[in-house]
Amino acid sequence: MKKYVLASLIIFIASLIACTKEKEQIEQDPTLGLIKITEGYANGASAKVVVYCNNANISTGYTRFYLALFDSISGNRIEDAEINLTPKMDMGTMTHSAPYENPSSTRAERHLFPCSVTFVMPSASGNWTLKVDIKNIGAGKTGSFVFPVTVSDPVLSRQKSFTANHNGAKYFISLIEPTKPKVGINDFEIAIYKKVSMMSWPADSSLSVMITPEMPTMGHGSPNNVNPIHIQNGHYKGKVNFTMTGLWRLNLDYMSGTAVADTTQYFDIEF
Amino acid sequence: MKKHILLFLCSMALGSLAAQTYTSTMSDDSSRLIQLKEVLIKSNSKSQLQQLINYYKFNNAATLEDIISRLPEVSLQRRGAYGMEPSIRSFSAGQINVTIDGMRIHGACTDKMDPATIYIEPLNLESVQVQTGNNGFIAGSVIGGTLNMKMAVPDFGASKNISGSVISGYQTAAQSVYEAFQLNFKSGRMAIRGTGTYRNANNYRSGGGQIVPFSQYEKINYSLSAKYQLNQFTTIKTDLLADDGWNIGYPALPMDVGYAAARLGSISLEQLKNERLLNKWQVKLYANTVHHFMDDTHRPNVLMHMDMPGKSKTLGAIFDASLKLGVKSQLQLKADGSSTFLKASMTMYQPWQLPMYMLTWPDNRKDQVGTGVVWQLKTDSASELQFATRIDFIQSSLISTAAKDQISVFGYSANNRIDFLKNISVQYSKKVNVPFKITSSISYSERIATASELYGFYLFNSNDSYDYIGNPSLKNEQAWQSEVSGIFNNKYYRFKLTTFYAHIRNYILGTINPAVSSMTIGAKGVKSYQNIPWANMASLEGSIVCRPMEFAEIASTLRYNWGAADSGEPLPYISPLKNISSFRIKYKAYSLQVESESALSQNRKSRFSGEDATAGYFLVHTRIGYVFHFKGSQFQLQSGIENLFDKQYHDHLDWGNIPRPGRNIYIQTKLIF
Repeated sequence: MKKYVLASLIIFIASLIACTKEKEQIEQDPTLGLIKITEGYANGASAKVVVYCNNANISTGYTRFYLALFDSISGNRIEDAEINLTPKMDMGTMTHSAPYENPSSTRAERHLFPCSVTFVMPSASGNWTLKVDIKNIGAGKTGSFVFPVTVSDPVLSRQKSFTANHNGAKYFISLIEPTKPKVGINDFEIAIYKKVSMMSWPADSSLSVMITPEMPTMGHGSPNNVNPIHIQNGHYKGKVNFTMTGLWRLNLDYMSGTAVADTTQYFDIEF
Repeated sequence: MKKHILLFLCSMALGSLAAQTYTSTMSDDSSRLIQLKEVLIKSNSKSQLQQLINYYKFNNAATLEDIISRLPEVSLQRRGAYGMEPSIRSFSAGQINVTIDGMRIHGACTDKMDPATIYIEPLNLESVQVQTGNNGFIAGSVIGGTLNMKMAVPDFGASKNISGSVISGYQTAAQSVYEAFQLNFKSGRMAIRGTGTYRNANNYRSGGGQIVPFSQYEKINYSLSAKYQLNQFTTIKTDLLADDGWNIGYPALPMDVGYAAARLGSISLEQLKNERLLNKWQVKLYANTVHHFMDDTHRPNVLMHMDMPGKSKTLGAIFDASLKLGVKSQLQLKADGSSTFLKASMTMYQPWQLPMYMLTWPDNRKDQVGTGVVWQLKTDSASELQFATRIDFIQSSLISTAAKDQISVFGYSANNRIDFLKNISVQYSKKVNVPFKITSSISYSERIATASELYGFYLFNSNDSYDYIGNPSLKNEQAWQSEVSGIFNNKYYRFKLTTFYAHIRNYILGTINPAVSSMTIGAKGVKSYQNIPWANMASLEGSIVCRPMEFAEIASTLRYNWGAADSGEPLPYISPLKNISSFRIKYKAYSLQVESESALSQNRKSRFSGEDATAGYFLVHTRIGYVFHFKGSQFQLQSGIENLFDKQYHDHLDWGNIPRPGRNIYIQTKLIF
């Protein structure tokens, strides 16, 4: 008798564990934690485009977008598409583009197509639009969706630019990480773009970067920071240490070989 | 069954220290006698140390700090008028145990403003035990010894059911008042003792008349102790003690204490059966908390206001037992465990900015279990051997994500560390002839780094103006020590001379870390705690207590400390040659005491710790007393002048060269009923 009780108990517990596992396997909504910005149809591509962002308010600097594509008739997800972005700033007398990153693959990542635009100025100077060209690979159709973006300046800028001393070119620097700064070691990431023409803002990997954090109100720095080095597509990664909360200034020196490109720029972070 | 209990206890391999049986000076004198009647004899024991304490306790105006600073082994590091940090033979902080009735209590202040000694008022104090040399580590693995304050216990033996005393006093140097009472109640098998002490001091006046700003303090201390006799041999006792301090100034530090609160509680069961093999044992459970809030709002020219709260919580258990193995041999066993939690933070405020917050003691815990044994063996009628050993397992851990994140700033591991500490000693004493006895010992002991040394985060030291950073990978300090003391005593006087030498490996010291910039505005730089290869320390202590005539008493202590790092540099906070001598005459109801306190100059300064040379000083204190009896009550009137010649001076161990109080006239009344 005891054996049966024991056996049934084991089965019961095992089934409980199995159930829990099953629950864990239920897929999370890929847009969990993301904010929907807009949606619309890419005419000609038979695709509905839903645009997500990490924040409701888009501010100047590096901005990640997540595009979800659906068949405009069946509503099924489109998992394979070639996507090309064209950000455009219309200032009335002139227009220019901005740095951007198309999805790295034509295959969706967890049903979404991540991409980015670095807005180099706020909408106060003109109107930003983002054009998304879509080639629906399954259907073999192409089309575009254009939507306006309102870009504001944050309290502490995450976007800086300088005219390099060594070649006179204009570089745009975006602060990507830390997004959630804490006391301790933080990942540090920036992206560097070079403005070649009004419409061409390629990623740059030619500079080396030195980071020196300081607390301007206290006059001290922090130890054991790791200078960011180029990883890919203009992204530089390193480490920054914060010894306390408060306002930190991350001074960044840019070098091209042994020539100084710029030593004037910094990012302020307050937490 | 009893055998089983005994076996069980033996197998636990405990080392006891039934506290007063093994004070440093006890080993030199009739320890067996004291051993027999611990509770009854109380502070009447005849050790040199106790004689000194009793001598100095006679002055009702004396604080515990006043009393212990006069002991030859003890020095005090002074940062303010209150809350001085005790050191034993220049060992301090984590190198020594400072315990209350054997209980561990950790200060909640990163600047060591709250040593455990502030929680005991002379009124609560039964005795002070200073253990050095061969059994200084028995209460916990340390290299420098143990300072234990034994709290007064409810008195079953009082002649009246209700008895007590009331004290009131005033001192001119700080225009301070001191009010205290003590009440003892006994009824049948129950005795209760309650005390309360209130002290309030203003800024004191230093020699020459200058007022020392931020030297004020105010505090209340209250305790309640109840003892119940379960049977002829067994008693259960509970102690509660609370201490609240407000607006405590620290002139040598950039901040004061706004509020500090300590709560201590314990319950203990003890049995005393002299004729048994297991003739005495005690179990004690205890808990204590300390909250501490530093405050800079009263300071002028504060560049940036900051809050620095800290807290400490300790839980622990102690088991002591004493076994008579035969006429010539006895064993003391002790086992104890404790867990201490510490957290301190700093928040700085700059207008229009978010507050700047950091953990100065990242949330950490120290869990410790240890056990020790002392075995005394009389090899013949004149000589005695004593072996002592103790082991400790200590786990140190950071217990919050924030704490671990923060320590990673320096690339240190945030993993728990477990240390196994070993201590062993042997002591031999011999009566060379009847009045002369010589005792010598050698010992090996270890100590783990303190929370500040392991995890401290930019702890500003205002004495050398460096920020200190902990180092979780510090090795344990290891000390080889030897001690020789000689005692000469007869009917009229007791003379004791002790010399001590220690070689400490992996000595922990703050060394300049040029790679890190300081955090504190105005700091010179950053020091990280490191193990230096070795350091040596030595001391010479002498004391004499004599009564050349029935009405006259003389007590005099002499101490000299010496310390050097492997580089040859002197160690910091080493006292120069000091002497305190006093002469007391009692005639009928009157007493007169003249006391001198003198120190030579200290020119062996520790440059890397920012010390400077300190001039010597010579002070004279005079005290008079009058006692009369009235309807079964005793009334004591005491008055005196300390620093009679209003000398402006400071001690080498005083931080910031802040002058000590000048001429101080006090008057104190005590009613005993």
